[in-house]
Amino acid sequence: MEFGPIWRAMMRNKTGAVLIALQIAVTMAIMVNAISIMQERARLMARPSGIDEHNIFTISSIGFAADFNERVTIEEDLAALRSMPGVVDAIQTNAVPLADSGWSMELQTEPGAEIDATSVAVYFVDEHGLNTFGVHLLAGENFKASDVNWREGSDTQWPNKILITRAMAATLFPDDPDSALGKTVYINDDEPMTVTGIIEQMQAPWSTWKAVERVMLVPSHTLFKGTRYVIRTEPGMRDQLMPKVEALLAERNKSRIVRSMRTMDEIRERSYLTDASMIKILTFTIILLTAVTALGIVGLASFSVNRRTRQIGTRRALGATRTAILRYFMTENLMISIVGVVLGAALTAALNMFMIETFSLTRIAWYLLPVAMLVLLGVGQLAVLGPARKASRVPPAVATRTV
Amino acid sequence: MFSYYLKLGWLSIHRNPLLSSLMIAAIAVGIGASMTTITVNYTMSSNPIPQKSDQLFYVQLDNWDPNDKREGGFEPPDQMTYLDAMALMKAHKAYRQVASNRSGLVLEPAGEDARPFSVTARNTWADFFPMFDLPFLYGSGWDDAADRNLEKVVVLSKETNERVFGGENSVGRSVRFNGIDFTVVGVLDKYYPVPKFYDVTTGAFDEPEEVYIPFNVALEYKLPRNGNTSCWKKPDGDGLDAFLNSECIWIQFWAQLRNKKEKQEYMDFLNAYVGQQKRLGRFPRPMDNRLSNVMEWMENQKVVDDDARVLLGLSLLFLVVCLLNTIGLLLAKFLGKSTDSSLRRALGASRANLFAQHMVEAGLIGLGGGILGLGLSWLGLQGIKALFGDIVVYLIQLDWVMVLTAIGLAIVSALLAGLYPTWRACRIAPASQLKIQ
Amino acid sequence: MLSLQNISMVYRAGLVETHALRDFSLEVDEGDFVSVTGPSGSGKTTFLNITGLLERFTDGRYFLDGRDVSKLSDAEASAVRNQKIGFIFQSFNLIPDLNLFDNVDVPLRYRGFSAAERKRRIERMLEMVGLASRMKHLPSQLSGGQQQRVAIARALAGEPRFLLADEPTGNLDSHMALSVMELLAEINRNGTTIIMVTHDPALAVMASRNVHILDGRVSDPETDTQLAAAASA
Repeated sequence: MEFGPIWRAMMRNKTGAVLIALQIAVTMAIMVNAISIMQERARLMARPSGIDEHNIFTISSIGFAADFNERVTIEEDLAALRSMPGVVDAIQTNAVPLADSGWSMELQTEPGAEIDATSVAVYFVDEHGLNTFGVHLLAGENFKASDVNWREGSDTQWPNKILITRAMAATLFPDDPDSALGKTVYINDDEPMTVTGIIEQMQAPWSTWKAVERVMLVPSHTLFKGTRYVIRTEPGMRDQLMPKVEALLAERNKSRIVRSMRTMDEIRERSYLTDASMIKILTFTIILLTAVTALGIVGLASFSVNRRTRQIGTRRALGATRTAILRYFMTENLMISIVGVVLGAALTAALNMFMIETFSLTRIAWYLLPVAMLVLLGVGQLAVLGPARKASRVPPAVATRTV
Repeated sequence: MFSYYLKLGWLSIHRNPLLSSLMIAAIAVGIGASMTTITVNYTMSSNPIPQKSDQLFYVQLDNWDPNDKREGGFEPPDQMTYLDAMALMKAHKAYRQVASNRSGLVLEPAGEDARPFSVTARNTWADFFPMFDLPFLYGSGWDDAADRNLEKVVVLSKETNERVFGGENSVGRSVRFNGIDFTVVGVLDKYYPVPKFYDVTTGAFDEPEEVYIPFNVALEYKLPRNGNTSCWKKPDGDGLDAFLNSECIWIQFWAQLRNKKEKQEYMDFLNAYVGQQKRLGRFPRPMDNRLSNVMEWMENQKVVDDDARVLLGLSLLFLVVCLLNTIGLLLAKFLGKSTDSSLRRALGASRANLFAQHMVEAGLIGLGGGILGLGLSWLGLQGIKALFGDIVVYLIQLDWVMVLTAIGLAIVSALLAGLYPTWRACRIAPASQLKIQ
Repeated sequence: MLSLQNISMVYRAGLVETHALRDFSLEVDEGDFVSVTGPSGSGKTTFLNITGLLERFTDGRYFLDGRDVSKLSDAEASAVRNQKIGFIFQSFNLIPDLNLFDNVDVPLRYRGFSAAERKRRIERMLEMVGLASRMKHLPSQLSGGQQQRVAIARALAGEPRFLLADEPTGNLDSHMALSVMELLAEINRNGTTIIMVTHDPALAVMASRNVHILDGRVSDPETDTQLAAAASA
C-alpha cells in the first residue's frame, strides 16, 4: 500500500482532510465525555436503597381537626394495618430512602463542642422498623417495644439506644467498624447514645448526599401532627392492597386527611428523574452527533472523489484495478481518521479535565478512549465506503477525455 | 447590489437542492440542539422580578457553629433564627421587610360532603405582597395592624379560590384551616415566578404556595412548619418556646432597600445588631452579615442546575461539529461552481464582489438553517417537557429573545463557516476555469 | 506483436446507435513507430481506448503478444495495461499533488516491485528524460514540455511492450513539441514500439508508418486527403 504517496498527496491538499479530522476529534470528545456522564448516572441509579423496595409503599396522614388525637390515631392505625391480610408489617416514620425530605443530625465518638461530628440521616421507627423496611441486622439486636418513646415536635431529648448502618460505623470507627456495637456515641455534642445494633445497608432520603449510606434508626414514635406510614406487603400483593389501605385509613378517622400514597418504585423513579432524563438526552445526542459526522464524511469524501475523477481514470489506465482504487480511498480516509482520533483523544482528555474542574464530574474510565477511537475509525471507514466505491467505478477511459 | 446578491444566492441554492438542503439541515441540527439548551439555561437564570430585583435583598446573619469549618472559611447559613428575624422585623429599619417560612395546612371546605384537602401555605407579614409585587384579582394583602392584632386573615391563590369558591370574589368569606376559621382578604391572579426566588430552600422551581397567612397567627395557633430546619446547637430545653429561642434556622428574610444609601444604612444596622448580640454571648463566628440582591442570591444558591450547564456546553460543541460540516459542504458548493465565478471575474467582478456574493449566499443558508433549527428546538423543548413532566412546564418558553437569538446564531455561524470557502472561491483567477478550445 | 482484427465499436444511447469503429484491423510489429491519423470524430479516441484496453469493443479480436485480450476481466485488463502498455496523454495527466518521483512511481506500485527496484527504475527514467535533478518538484512547477517528459518517464518505467501516445504534443508549443518528438524518436530507435494517435500530419510523418482512420475505418490516406482538399475547395 502506497502510504507515503497517499500521505504526501493529502498534505498538499489539506483542507478536506483537516475538516474531517477535526470533526472526528470534536465528535470523539463529546461522545466519550457524554458516555462517561451516562455511566456515572447509571451507576448512581443502580445503587440499592437497602430496603425491600418492590413490596413497600408509603402513605401520609395529616391531622387537622381540633379533636385530632394523634397518639391514639397512630396506635389504632398501626394495629389495623398490621392485621391486614397480605401486609407483612407496617410502621409510622418521618421519612423513607430517596424521598428527598427528611431529618439529619450529627454524631461524634467523643463528647465536646469542638470535636468533629459526622452527619447521619435519622429515621424514627419502632420495634417493627427492621421488618417493615426489610433491612438486615448484621450484629446486635433490634429495639424492644419498651425502648420506644413518644416524641413531640419540640422535644429535644434523644433515646439512648440506636441502630446504625455499617457505613456509619465505618465512618465513626474507621479502624474497626464492627467494634461499634456497644459503643457510646454523642448527639448534640454531649448527649450519649449506645449503638445496640449494626444494619447491613440502608440509604438516606437524599440520593445526591455525600453521606447517603449513613443512617441511624431511632426508637421513637413521632407526634408531629403529620406522619408517614410505611407498609410492606407480601410479594405481588402491593398493588391490590394499596387502595384498600387508603380506604381503610380514610374511613377510620375523619380528623385527619390521608394523601400522597406512593410506592417505593415511584419514589425511586422521581428521585432519579433528572439522572434518567440526562441519560436519555445524552444517548439521543450521541446518536445524532454520530449521524451528522458520518454524513459529513460522506459529503466531504464525495466532493474529494469528484475533484479527482481525472486522476482516478489515469491510475486505472496505468494499471490500477478497481479494488486498488477502493483501497486507496479507504486508506486515505483511515489516515485522516487516525489523525482525527489521536487529536480527539487529546481533546477528550482536555474537555474531561475542564468538566471535572467546573462541574465536579468524574474522570472517564480509561478503556473508553481506545473503544471510542476504534468505533470512530469504523464509522469513518463505513462512511467513506460509498464514495470510495463510486471512485472505483470511474472508467479508465476518463483518462483520454480531453475536456 | 445587495438585492442582486440575494437573487444570486437564492438561484444558487435552488440550482442544487440536495446540497443546499444538506447544508441547511447541518446548521439546523446544531442550532436546534444549542437553542434547546440555551432556552433552558436562559429561563432558569432569568430574572423573576426585573422591575425591582436590585432593590430586594436577602439577609444572612452568621449565627452558625464556630467549629464547623469548610474549605475557604465560613459561609453564613441560608436561613435565619426566630430571635433574629423578629428583632429585625420589630426594628423596621428597611423601607420594607418580611420574614416568612413555608407551611402546610388542611383546608376544610364548608359542606357536609366536602372532603378536606391539604394545601401548601406561607406564613408571612403584610409587606410580602407589595414587596414582591404579587398580582391581585380581588382584594389585597393585609396591613401591619392585622399582623399586630393577630387577625386570622388569608390570601388565596387563584387556583385555590377556584377550587373552593368557584372563582368568585371571595373577599370577606370564611375558610377553615386545621379547625380554625380565617377570613379571605385577597385573591391572587395567576402567579408563577420563575424561579421561586423568595424561597429557594425547598425547590427553586416549585409552584408558589396556595395560601398565605400571617406569621404570628401561625405561631399563636401552633400551625405546622414545613421547610428545612437546621440547628447547630440543641435548644435549651423542650417545648416551643425553647425552640423559638434557639439557634435553629428556619426563616427566610428579605429587605427592600431602594438605593445605595438605604443599603449601606441597613448594613450598618445589621452590624450594630449583631455586635450587640455578640456581647450577649451569641454569634461566636466572626461578623459576616450579607445582603444579596435577587440575582446574586440565585447565583449563590446555584439555582441554575449543573446538568443544564453541562448540556449547554456539549450542545455548543455539537454546533461546532455542525459548522465544520457546513464548511466542508460550502467548500464543495463554491468550488463546484468555480466556472461561474471565473466567468464573473472575466466579466469584471472584483474580488470584493465575489466575496460579498458568496457571503450573502452563506448568510441565506444560515437563515434557512436558523428557521428550521428554531422548529427543531421547539421539538427539543417538547422532548424535555416529556422527560421531566410538570416540573418544568414553566421553564420552557420560546420568547422573542430566544427566536431572535436562534436566527442570529444561525446566520453568524453560517457566515463564520463561509469565510474560508468564500476566500478559496475568490482566489480563482479570471477565466482560469474556462476552456478555450 | 499487436494485432487488431475486424474491430467494431458501437455505442448505444437509447435508440441511437453510433458506429465509432467499423471492421478496423491493424498489425503492429516490434519496433514499429505507427502514427494513426484522422479528422476529429473519425474514431481516433475510440481506437486509442480499445488499443489501450481502456474500453471493451463490440466485435472483433485483439491479440497482444500472442494472447487474446479481447474479453479480459477488469482485473486482467488492468494487469495488462500495467505491464505491457505505456500511456502518454495529450494533457499529460500527471497527478498534481504528487512530486515527480511519486508520479513515476504510480504504475510501479501496482506492479508490486520492491522499494529498491522502484527507486532504481524511477531514477533511471527521470535521468533519461533529463529531469532527475527535479525529482522532488511538483508538476505545477514544470513547463508543459517537461511535464510530458515526466509522463514519458512514467510510461517507460515499467518496460512496456509499446507506448500508446495520444496527441503527445497537442498542448505544447512548437519548440517543446520538437524536443518531445525527438525524445520519442530516440526511444523508438532504442527498440520501443510506439503507436501515436495524432491529427497533425507534420507529426505523422515522423513515424515509420501511417494508418488513417475515416468514419471508423482504415482508409487510404492519399484518397482522403484529395477528397478533403476537394471538399474545402
